[in-house]
Amino acid sequence: MTKYLIKRFLLMLPTLFGVALVTFVLIRVIPGDVVELRYSGDSGSVSQEIIDRERARIGLDKPVWQQFLTWMAGVVRLDFGTSMWTGAPIWEEIKLRFALSLQVAIMATIVAVVLAIPLGVLSALKQDTWIDYSVRVFSIAGLAMPSFWLGIVLILMMLVVFKWLPPMVYTPFWVSPTQNLAQLIWPALAVGYRYSAVATRMTRSAMLEVLREDYIRTARAKGLMQKLILSRHALKNAMLPVLTVVALEFAFLIGGLVVTEQVFNLNGIGLLFVQAVAHRDYTLLQALIMLVAGSFIIVNFLMDIAYAWLDPRIRYR
Amino acid sequence: MRRPALVLMALVVVLLSGTVLPASAQDKPRSGGELVFVVPSEPPSYDAHQEETFGLIHPMAPHYSTLLRVDPTDKTGTKPVGDLAESWTISKDGLTYTFKIRSGVKFHDGSDLTAKDVKASYDKILNPPAGVKSLRKTAYTAIASVDAPDATTFVVKLKYPESSMLLNLSSPWNWIYKADTLAKDPKWYEKNVNGTGPFKFVEHAKGSHWVGKKNADYWDKGKPYLDGYRAIFISNSAAQVAAVRGERAMIQFRSFSPAERDSLVQALGPKITVQESPWDCLNLVAMHHEKRPFDDKRVRRALSLALDRYEGSKHLSKITLVKDVAGIQVPGTPYATPPAELEKLAGYGRDTAKNRAEARRLLKEAGVPDGFAFTFKNRGIPHPYEPLGIWLIDQWRQIGLNVKMEVIEASAYHPMLKRGDFDVAMDFQCGFIVEPDLDLPRFLSTSDANYGKHKDTVIDDLYSRQGRATDPEERKKLLRQFEKRLLDEEAHVVYTLQWNRVIPHLSKVKGWTITPSHYLNNQLDTVWLSE
Repeated sequence: MTKYLIKRFLLMLPTLFGVALVTFVLIRVIPGDVVELRYSGDSGSVSQEIIDRERARIGLDKPVWQQFLTWMAGVVRLDFGTSMWTGAPIWEEIKLRFALSLQVAIMATIVAVVLAIPLGVLSALKQDTWIDYSVRVFSIAGLAMPSFWLGIVLILMMLVVFKWLPPMVYTPFWVSPTQNLAQLIWPALAVGYRYSAVATRMTRSAMLEVLREDYIRTARAKGLMQKLILSRHALKNAMLPVLTVVALEFAFLIGGLVVTEQVFNLNGIGLLFVQAVAHRDYTLLQALIMLVAGSFIIVNFLMDIAYAWLDPRIRYR
Repeated sequence: MRRPALVLMALVVVLLSGTVLPASAQDKPRSGGELVFVVPSEPPSYDAHQEETFGLIHPMAPHYSTLLRVDPTDKTGTKPVGDLAESWTISKDGLTYTFKIRSGVKFHDGSDLTAKDVKASYDKILNPPAGVKSLRKTAYTAIASVDAPDATTFVVKLKYPESSMLLNLSSPWNWIYKADTLAKDPKWYEKNVNGTGPFKFVEHAKGSHWVGKKNADYWDKGKPYLDGYRAIFISNSAAQVAAVRGERAMIQFRSFSPAERDSLVQALGPKITVQESPWDCLNLVAMHHEKRPFDDKRVRRALSLALDRYEGSKHLSKITLVKDVAGIQVPGTPYATPPAELEKLAGYGRDTAKNRAEARRLLKEAGVPDGFAFTFKNRGIPHPYEPLGIWLIDQWRQIGLNVKMEVIEASAYHPMLKRGDFDVAMDFQCGFIVEPDLDLPRFLSTSDANYGKHKDTVIDDLYSRQGRATDPEERKKLLRQFEKRLLDEEAHVVYTLQWNRVIPHLSKVKGWTITPSHYLNNQLDTVWLSE
């Protein structure tokens, strides 16, 4: 098991390096830079001398390979530098938003799991009945509706029907749980519904497959109760693909709620992404992409551990 | 009655209630409450001397004072009044301005403000120390020196008389900082706040909000009326509208679009008041003077003559941020072009058929009788660039020109203009105070922003003379000559339509008057809430 984990861990390093390299090159292909954007402002009247001086100050006048090496030297020490737009340390910028994005991701995951697993199991057990059809319609509707669109509908409904809008400013849960939930429950529902749709479909198909396995038939032949067959034999085995989907979606939610965060005006990582791109804030953008890539890689690593725990055959291969 | 008619009626009632009656005449100011407003951008640093964005002015201006300011009740935004300056005198030769600085003004850290602080702040703007930027240094080339001979006197000496000097010293960017702090660390104000304004700094949650609370020691006793304010940063325009509609925010000080205004009026009815003003922002068309056939003034004039500005104004003002047909100054301001004068310029006459016939004649004379094809480069911003671009192309087609629009991503746009990598391109300017000296330098032959690269010593000379003219009537005459040369005789650029600023706000917000600039009137000392 230890050898298996070490191997998996070491594979993370070249992946991260590849991400760093591709990210660094790609964002420099986008036209315009942070200095031009900041000082062109509304009228573009700032002299070229000031623009050149500012470029030199933040190191944009150096060759790209030199900029990359300087940045990588920082990354190795977990120092992502300062934001080119605000001048604040990158970690400070990210730390502020990370708590919110993490909370939305956790809440959406809870919504998704609470909906998906019972519905998926029920749908598989009642295959081709009205229950199965209803669950399929519900989940396909979730897949078809983008979460940001559902978010807009939710906001409009609250405005038009209830003449109410969620708070615009984030309050940490420990400061005021009601304020916090009043703001975050809506994006969590909008995102969680779509997320649950994917997981419901996966749970249903995995359960259908497992329920046809020989060991389930054997369990039934032994006279085991249906409840025990489901919880002890079927569900545990069907959970492997479901777990993959849930985990990857969770990693995606950390930085992927770009539009949804704009719709609900959530000061999260997704919105920071948009601002970093809009400002051509290279250092911040690079750090954010590394954060999201890191989240995916870590979640994948944890998934590998979970796989090995759920299915011992994997670690002995 | 049909629904659109009802909306229109509601809009008219609301517009009348908001704009015809001055806010101050409606009620007596009352104290208390927190003003919540939306800011579509965010300050990159905290130092106004080195920033260009309203994202800094809107949340932070309430913390600071300036030497002079623009009268917060003046709709034209062109009347200078004292802020830290109690009074001032100008020497007969127009070369020495002596300001008496108010006594008893305190910084938020409790220390007293003196003329030394004003001098140190202006020194930083005029001659920033090494490693410190000042974006406004070039606006004060007329200043020879600044001095503070005693604690309450601040003296500005000029190299030559400049009629715009008082307005230029009312710049909303020229916040007064503490001299001792600047002496220790000239970059301190990039990350910290300590001013003498009506509100003290409380909190900045990056990406989320900015909070200020009433400064009980503010020099103008009885003000500010508000207990505090909260600026919420929202970049998405739909979310901004939702914030006002859901009454989570009371106002957004930049502008909404006409459609957003209408949706708010329809949803909130009498709870919303709309203030509108011509905006000191404008899209103009730059034509590259070193590329054929735009090196020929007849072709450039034809491009202006093709535009039916009055009809365009009627329709475009319903869908985007533009409205008035104007010359080189915002309509309604002291140096604006009178309508009768305006109609004499190429493309400003009311008879469109006649204008277009003249355009065709000029093209024929220039050797392109059947028109020609060119690419018009436009900036990738929906409002008002996109509808304006489409309108321009349609207008030019009316005189036989075959124009293709190429949209360039917003951040790559200015570098493209600077490189001169265009034949014809949309240009843009936005001022913080309507004043010829501040709005027109871009048309000088040596300007970095003269993207069409025209060389015109007559323009340069007229600009210089109008700036030094102390008699307003003489200045007007020179400005009309400048305008005729720029937009008609040489047609160096083509002006489109003046932007229109639209501020729908909750009716309980009182004491705030719209001006042509979204950089002005943000100290909030006069603002109060009726509920």
